[in-house]
Amino acid sequence: MSEPLLRVENLSKAFGKVVTANGLNFELKAGELTSIIGPNGAGKSTLINVLSGSLSADGGRIFFEGQDITQLPIHRRVQRGLCRSFQVVNVFPHLSVFQNVEIPVLAVARRAHHFFRPVGGEAEVADMVRAVLERVGLAGQAQTPASALSHGDQRLLEVGIALAARPKLLFLDEPTAGMNPVERVDILQNIRRLSASGETTFVIVEHDMDVVFSLSDRVMVLHRGGLICDGPPDHVKGDGQVRECYLGEEVR
Amino acid sequence: MSRAGVYLIYGLAALALVAIGLFAGRFVLYLTMRVMLLAIFALGYNLLLGRTGLLSFGHGALYAAGAYGLGLFNLHVSHDPLLGLLVGVAFAALIALIIGFFCVRQTEIYFAMLTLAFGMMFFSLIWNLREVTGGDDGLIGISRAPLLGLPIGRDYQFYFLVLACFALAVWVIHRIRGSAFGLVLAGIRENHQRTSFAGIPVKNYRLAAFVVSGAFAGLAGSLATLLESNANPFSAHWSHSAEPVLVSLMGGLQTFSGPLVGSVIFVVLREVIERFTENWMLWFGVILLAIIMGLRGGVMGGLEKRLGRARAARPGGAS
Amino acid sequence: MLESFVHVCLAGLSKGMFIWLVASGLTLIFGVLGVLNFAHGSFYMLGAYFCFSLLSHLGHNFWLGLILGPLFVCLVGYVVERYFLRYVYHIDLPYQLLLTFAFVLIFDDLVKVVWGAGSIGSPSVAGLSGSVRILGRLFPSYSLFIILVGPLVALGLWGLLEKTWAGRIIRAASSDREMASALGVRVPALFTAVFVFGTWLGAVGGGLAVPYVGLLTPGMGESIIIDAFVVAVIGGLGSLKGAFLGALIIGLLSSFGTRFLPTFDMFLTFILMAIVLLWRPQGFFGEEAAR
Repeated sequence: MSEPLLRVENLSKAFGKVVTANGLNFELKAGELTSIIGPNGAGKSTLINVLSGSLSADGGRIFFEGQDITQLPIHRRVQRGLCRSFQVVNVFPHLSVFQNVEIPVLAVARRAHHFFRPVGGEAEVADMVRAVLERVGLAGQAQTPASALSHGDQRLLEVGIALAARPKLLFLDEPTAGMNPVERVDILQNIRRLSASGETTFVIVEHDMDVVFSLSDRVMVLHRGGLICDGPPDHVKGDGQVRECYLGEEVR
Repeated sequence: MSRAGVYLIYGLAALALVAIGLFAGRFVLYLTMRVMLLAIFALGYNLLLGRTGLLSFGHGALYAAGAYGLGLFNLHVSHDPLLGLLVGVAFAALIALIIGFFCVRQTEIYFAMLTLAFGMMFFSLIWNLREVTGGDDGLIGISRAPLLGLPIGRDYQFYFLVLACFALAVWVIHRIRGSAFGLVLAGIRENHQRTSFAGIPVKNYRLAAFVVSGAFAGLAGSLATLLESNANPFSAHWSHSAEPVLVSLMGGLQTFSGPLVGSVIFVVLREVIERFTENWMLWFGVILLAIIMGLRGGVMGGLEKRLGRARAARPGGAS
Repeated sequence: MLESFVHVCLAGLSKGMFIWLVASGLTLIFGVLGVLNFAHGSFYMLGAYFCFSLLSHLGHNFWLGLILGPLFVCLVGYVVERYFLRYVYHIDLPYQLLLTFAFVLIFDDLVKVVWGAGSIGSPSVAGLSGSVRILGRLFPSYSLFIILVGPLVALGLWGLLEKTWAGRIIRAASSDREMASALGVRVPALFTAVFVFGTWLGAVGGGLAVPYVGLLTPGMGESIIIDAFVVAVIGGLGSLKGAFLGALIIGLLSSFGTRFLPTFDMFLTFILMAIVLLWRPQGFFGEEAAR
């Protein structure tokens, strides 16, 4: 592989005096399931926000498939294949599950601007939506309003919406937050399976160390806006600095 | 209610409207035209408020853009009503594009205040540029020349032009709501951040909704100018923008038929109240209070609940 | 030239101070309750009409009317908040705005019912009805009085919010409702109190307007509320300091606009509002916007 999927050069971001990204440099390779961990306030959420376009970077550059996307607005990054899910449930509450997934599918299929043709008539779109719902296991609840789903199912829908945008690179922000153990096992299996299918490269931000070490090919540890350790799970587990920065922190 | 039931109701309503045009007296004719004009205004407006979730105080100005667009064209260029309507609608859409370009950068209360500011700028221009707009007198003496050879000078003739425009507006807005674009607008209302992350340029879609609803405001304004044979500067005032909001709210923001039903209630209620008292605004305020405090979702929203139609059970169930 | 400049400035200042009197209550209510209150202009109007009526019944004692009139309006404000507004804090913005708009319709027509639909001429105030000679031209002394009252009200509000126990609670509740509630502040009661106080400010503005505007009309609230909106937006919604300076700017801008660009004076006001909303939606003094 010549060009990495994502390359970050000297990325920095600060809120007043609080530095949340301090000259970060790293690359992400296609197909490599990566986890980003770190104690609270390490800058994980900020990093995702800057990479996905919710926040603008103070300095540094972001390359996606070799092209500079540092200044691109959110929707253009998504169109190029860089998407994210959210830590808190972030769906379209009053729309049906089907419609929740339909919106990103319409965008991908470049049909979203069709303003006169009934949306029900877009047969290809409907097929793509059903395929996504199958993948995340919500096909049976297609007509349920999203707000009526259980919390775990809403998280699945969250991932479904993100996947529907056909991302090449998908950031999952604490995908198991607030889930019960059964749901947790389900979604982790899902992620592993989806990752193995090779269409999408996943990057997961997690608190749960079991999740991180069982799932990941690679673990990146953030601390105070800097990257203090980066490598395969076993390497990170044994790293002294990582232990040190987690010492006294609650390792959940 | 079944789908066939809905079609039946719309069919009966259409028949009734044609019958009114053929047999009703001048007063009912005039009132029905006012209902239809208000309904066009409100249906378009609700595409923005009920669908996209944006509250605009600038639609009075867009209505006036249609009115003055047609009025000035009629007075200075040509009496052709069809061309006049096209000019009115196009001018309203253009103004909506300009105003909207700036306004969609903000949301919520800031959007509302921006539309208020731009709308009032437009109002102040109409008010102060007397040589062009007639200032507080407005434009007077607008004539109704035959449309494609058909006379529309009399109210019972003009009625059918209004009815045709109304039917067209209902059909087009219904199609828009049911389209992919309509669904995306609902997505923006529900969660604009998530819509961005679905790969949708949210601002452009908001702008498109603003322009479409502005064009319908312009259509209503142009037709009203033909009906009254004058254009009134106060139609550009921000408080006129509250009218479609009231109408949509009375009928139900989240339903397609809400603005239609609301328009009927609004115009009829106003007539009835004005029979008994000069202070119809007072009673109107009381009714509005009652709706907001008690009957949120409007008349049609309430009816739908009564009829037990859960939203999601509907085909393409978005509201 | 200089005389004319000074007089246009003074006229602008007095106009600005009136807008400030109305905008201060509006801003306080927005800052704490988060509701943009269209009916605030109605409170201004009611204040004016109540003062006027008391004036006729109390043997032309303006000051007594100015104290008693706004108290009646406070009662109205209490009813509006306690029995209506309180139930819509949690619902969508359009509904909140429309609820307050419904009160505008109601109060406008009620005033017509009680006081008649036409304009009423208002009396002058003993002691302040004359004029003062400034740089060779006459300037109404009542306008000078208003120019003094404005900053006094601002000072009073600042003292209340910064220096008193009540002010600390108000500031706490406006920056974090849940936290204040958790600390034992009875938030609903506080909201009512702030709303009534804001109402009082608006009504006092109306009362003070009685000798100033000359004519009382049922629509007088609607024109000032838009000015107050503009001012509140320019200063940064919720910021009192911003509203004060915004009122000065708008007062002067409109005064100079009327004098030198009469065709565009209204246009100037709204274009300034639009520019601020686009360029700095948090207003000129946005860092205080949380307040």
